[in-house]
Amino acid sequence: MRKTTRAIAVMALATPAILGLTAVAEAQDKFKLGMMVGGNTCCEWMKAQGDVARALAEKEGWDYIELSNNNDPATALKNAQIMVQEGVDAVIQFNGQPSSNPAISAVMKQANIPIVTYDIADPGMYFVGIDNLGAGIAGGEGLGAIIKEKWDCNPDLVVSAEGAAAGIVNEWRTGGMRTGLKNICPDIPEAKWVSFESQGDAAVGLPAARDLLAAHPDAKKIAVVGLNDGGVLALINAAEQLGRADEVIGWGQDGAFITGDNVNPHLAGSVFYFLEGYAVYAIRDVIKPIAEGNVPPLKADAGDPASKVQPCPVTAEQAKAVPDMPERIAQLLAAPAGTTEFDLFCPNKG
Amino acid sequence: MSVDHALDTAPAAAPLKVRFGGFGNALLLLGIWLALIIATSLYRPDFLSHQTLLAVTFTMAVVGVLAIGQGIVAMSGGFIDLSQPANLIMSSLVAVRLTEAGLPLPLVIVGAILAGMVWGAVNATIIVFARLNPVIVTLATNFIGLAALFLVFQLAEVPIGSAIYQFGRASIFGLPAIFWPMLALVLVVGYLVPRTRYGRRMIAVGGNRTAAKARGISLRVTRYATFMVAGGFVGFAAVLFAATSGPFNPGSANALQLNIIASVILAGISLSGGRGNFWMLLLSVGFLSTLPTSLVFFGLSSDTQSIFQGFILVIAVAIDGWRARKATP
Repeated sequence: MRKTTRAIAVMALATPAILGLTAVAEAQDKFKLGMMVGGNTCCEWMKAQGDVARALAEKEGWDYIELSNNNDPATALKNAQIMVQEGVDAVIQFNGQPSSNPAISAVMKQANIPIVTYDIADPGMYFVGIDNLGAGIAGGEGLGAIIKEKWDCNPDLVVSAEGAAAGIVNEWRTGGMRTGLKNICPDIPEAKWVSFESQGDAAVGLPAARDLLAAHPDAKKIAVVGLNDGGVLALINAAEQLGRADEVIGWGQDGAFITGDNVNPHLAGSVFYFLEGYAVYAIRDVIKPIAEGNVPPLKADAGDPASKVQPCPVTAEQAKAVPDMPERIAQLLAAPAGTTEFDLFCPNKG
Repeated sequence: MSVDHALDTAPAAAPLKVRFGGFGNALLLLGIWLALIIATSLYRPDFLSHQTLLAVTFTMAVVGVLAIGQGIVAMSGGFIDLSQPANLIMSSLVAVRLTEAGLPLPLVIVGAILAGMVWGAVNATIIVFARLNPVIVTLATNFIGLAALFLVFQLAEVPIGSAIYQFGRASIFGLPAIFWPMLALVLVVGYLVPRTRYGRRMIAVGGNRTAAKARGISLRVTRYATFMVAGGFVGFAAVLFAATSGPFNPGSANALQLNIIASVILAGISLSGGRGNFWMLLLSVGFLSTLPTSLVFFGLSSDTQSIFQGFILVIAVAIDGWRARKATP
């Protein structure tokens, strides 16, 4: 009797320990994905990139850790070190301030942790992203088609809404839009091309946009390109306030303000990247193969990426068929694994 | 540094002539402004156009109303309210939500002003009861507020075509509709502050806390009223901001802070309290709103504009220090 009681007591005491050890072993076996989002204080899509990655990781049964780079290079580097301490198996990041990317690469390489970077290439990281220059050119050509039809390629002014803080991305997108517009309308004189610093924010860029219009008081037919929809809207709003919006036509990038029921009628089009859904590409083409033991070759070049995101240029009319971001995310997560938002929503796949 | 220490070390109340400003400062500022306009016009004659006037007055509207709020805090010895950006965005969000709910513009305005006043009351509560330095408190509430706002929304925008949207694009007598309320408020506040009991108390507390206390002025009540009224002005500025800004995010007002503080100091409203003339804000805000427009006409980039504005702030602070020393008996 005493022996039986002792055996039961030992078993009772041992069970939690065995369960705990099993759980630890399971956790150690579980693939762990780290996500360093660009920041939670900028744009809806940055936060959404983390939300989608988390949902997809959970679907795969992986552990998931998320940190915010806070749009700050030092924070991004610190986050990389935390990821190493946490023992992640792979990392995805968007780092809008890529000056710390070489250091992050070195940290990850030393810890033998593969890292995917979105949109801004680094030699030590798998590149997943859009061809920003291609997206810019596609947008510029879309605007060019309208300018050619309406103004016979003869605008009074072509305004670039720059966002210098975005660095090379700004040059690719905004410069690409200028190139695309020149592809369609090659004879617009150099003197008609002007720029202002929009900071990629409609509200912040507004005074500078008003000043630019004031400095070109005779311009009526105004074409606007820019880093993103927000920057282009800064110029459009300024033109409305100065009573000169009748003949303003803008074409943005990123699709942030071309969907929904509050679209400015002077925003003629944009280019969707469906930024929030990048994790589908990263997980499908890089992370999942790594989790399955088939580490893909490092493709770090934007020209030969590990996974290429297709840009989706749309007119405002076409954009009406595209749901807003929360709805897109809901449909994306309900779709079969590997389905991209381009597949689901781009009305202009050609 | 506690609020007691900060206020006790403030310069003593200055003579009336100094407090309400002579014509010298106004003429100097007006002269600099006119010189800027003339220089730009000589370089680019088309600077003198209705479009320039619109660009400058649009910029003046929001900055001007915010500068009134900042001026009230400064004059009462509260130094500066660094939480204006967060308050502006929070009140703008209230304006957007009330508009989306279908409320008429007057109620939207009242709602935004009340929201701004509540924010001011929160600042005042912490400052008065915890007896903390207003600069540190408002710096902290700005951080807290912005972080909280990021949790609540990423982007907001008044509905296109709504009454507030039309208000932001309307003009009256050839100038933006949003400019006139700013002008009226500056004139009214500038008239009332030295002529009303509350205004005189605010100046007295700002000029010399100990003397004000000895005269039976309740420092707590005055401080509360100061921050709530200043918050109310931020709330009204939020209506003008929401009406014109297009889509905005929680960080969209951060860039305004430098210009507002520079406007207050250039206007001769002392950061150490007790001195200043709100009418001077028309000149300082006008000058600082014209400067970036002029620089664009000169073909200078935005980066260069920031350098100029930074220099002006440094010069303004130096002038403020010089004025404070001059006013100290």
